[in-house]
Amino acid sequence: MKKIKTRTRGWIMIIGVIAVLALIFTSCAENEKIAAKSGAQLWAENCQRCHNTPSPSAFSHEQWKTIGMHMQTRAQLTDKERQKIVDFLSQ
Amino acid sequence: MKRINKIGYCLGAMMLILLSFNTAKAQQSSADSALLGRIAILEQQVADQKPGESHFMVAGLTTFGYVSSKTTFTAPGAMGQITRANSLGDADHYELSPMFLFRHGDNLLVEFEPSFDGSNLGVNWANISYFAAPGLVVHAGYFVVPFGIYSKKLAAGWIDKLAGDPAGFDLPGTDFGIGFSGGFPLGDMKWGYDVSLTNGLQLLPDGELQNAGIVDNNKGKMLSGRVSLLPFSNSSLEIGVSALHSNAGDAGSTFTSANVTMYGADINFVKTFSPFLVNIKGQYNKINVTPQTYTSPVDSSLFSYNNVTSSAFAQISVRPVGADNFLKNFEVAYRYSNYTTPAGSAWGQNFHENDFGLDYWLSWRTVLKFTYAQSRSLSTSSVTAGGTPGLTNINSLYLQFSVEF
Repeated sequence: MKKIKTRTRGWIMIIGVIAVLALIFTSCAENEKIAAKSGAQLWAENCQRCHNTPSPSAFSHEQWKTIGMHMQTRAQLTDKERQKIVDFLSQ
Repeated sequence: MKRINKIGYCLGAMMLILLSFNTAKAQQSSADSALLGRIAILEQQVADQKPGESHFMVAGLTTFGYVSSKTTFTAPGAMGQITRANSLGDADHYELSPMFLFRHGDNLLVEFEPSFDGSNLGVNWANISYFAAPGLVVHAGYFVVPFGIYSKKLAAGWIDKLAGDPAGFDLPGTDFGIGFSGGFPLGDMKWGYDVSLTNGLQLLPDGELQNAGIVDNNKGKMLSGRVSLLPFSNSSLEIGVSALHSNAGDAGSTFTSANVTMYGADINFVKTFSPFLVNIKGQYNKINVTPQTYTSPVDSSLFSYNNVTSSAFAQISVRPVGADNFLKNFEVAYRYSNYTTPAGSAWGQNFHENDFGLDYWLSWRTVLKFTYAQSRSLSTSSVTAGGTPGLTNINSLYLQFSVEF
């Protein structure tokens, strides 16, 4: 009986954690001001948190796409941020 | 007769016109084929340049330079002993690390970075990342364990404002396992997470810790993670907290029950106060190992101590980016670091270091660093445990060049 109770409690905890995480993820929305940021602005704000802002001419479009994915794993950029920054750097 | 002559002239003229027309036509045809040939070549060149689904590139970094140091060791009740050294780089300050990046479509990235430090050829990371969904990147392989900001984001020579690393930030280092990371907007703010499950740490006979490596030393795994919040809409401030738990004892050893818990907090603030760009960074780590009994390497006696280690650094750098002359390429930096290892162990010390730096940026990714470092380490080790009591002062001068390529 005790074992069943412990197991039930464990499942409740897991479901609770999943529910909380789902709530957090679904509530993660950007407001209009953030959504309107340009790639240039995001490039200036995010890159310089760790290093100097890179020159767009340093790499080609294909290279920036690859570097953008690498940087997303390092800096926890959002997908939209990565896309906008890569688009700006590829111009 | 005159009439015949006129007709003759007319016929001659007509023949000349026809001849010249044919010649022009032949020239035109020749020009067309030359043009078509050039177009075909250009089309081939464009086809060669056409991006495919996969892409491979090599980036990376190198750091080298000159180190001069003076070490003064003072044993209790004795005169100080001075040792001087100078070298064109050393294992801690020389690095050549090409980074190979393979992108497969829009969802897969393979990263491999071998590294030569002058005496060893190692690997900084070798892992694969799958961009599974917005805000979810799954990575597996050999990667930097998510903990704090220094190891994963600031340690590269072309990023670090000072020549050396702050002491006590080697752990948890790089490990084998699986991890998840991502970033999300949150209204005006932003938050990110980075968690991993890896083989974990290994407790050594003297109580020190190291990575277990590719073959785990026990059944337990290490759970590590960092959560960060960027509270301002301009992302100028990032605050992070980290935590880690690992079984550390070798299976079947007297350390079977040994666990490691690690906590950390970090801050990263970068903002332009015209004409200056101000950069403030800091991190605090604390490592707790559950109480164990250790064996003295000196006389095999059993002893114990409170195995708690802490390390911290605070750094500020300022660069006049708004200047319209060469001064904008200079950056001044200062860092204070502290590293306190367990008193009563073989490696107990209370270490402080002040680093003063003047950097000159040749480009956004190329820097010439001049750093003066002054450290003071007071041993709190136990002689029974194999430690050496005394005070060590080190003054070092670095001239270092670092470039990202």
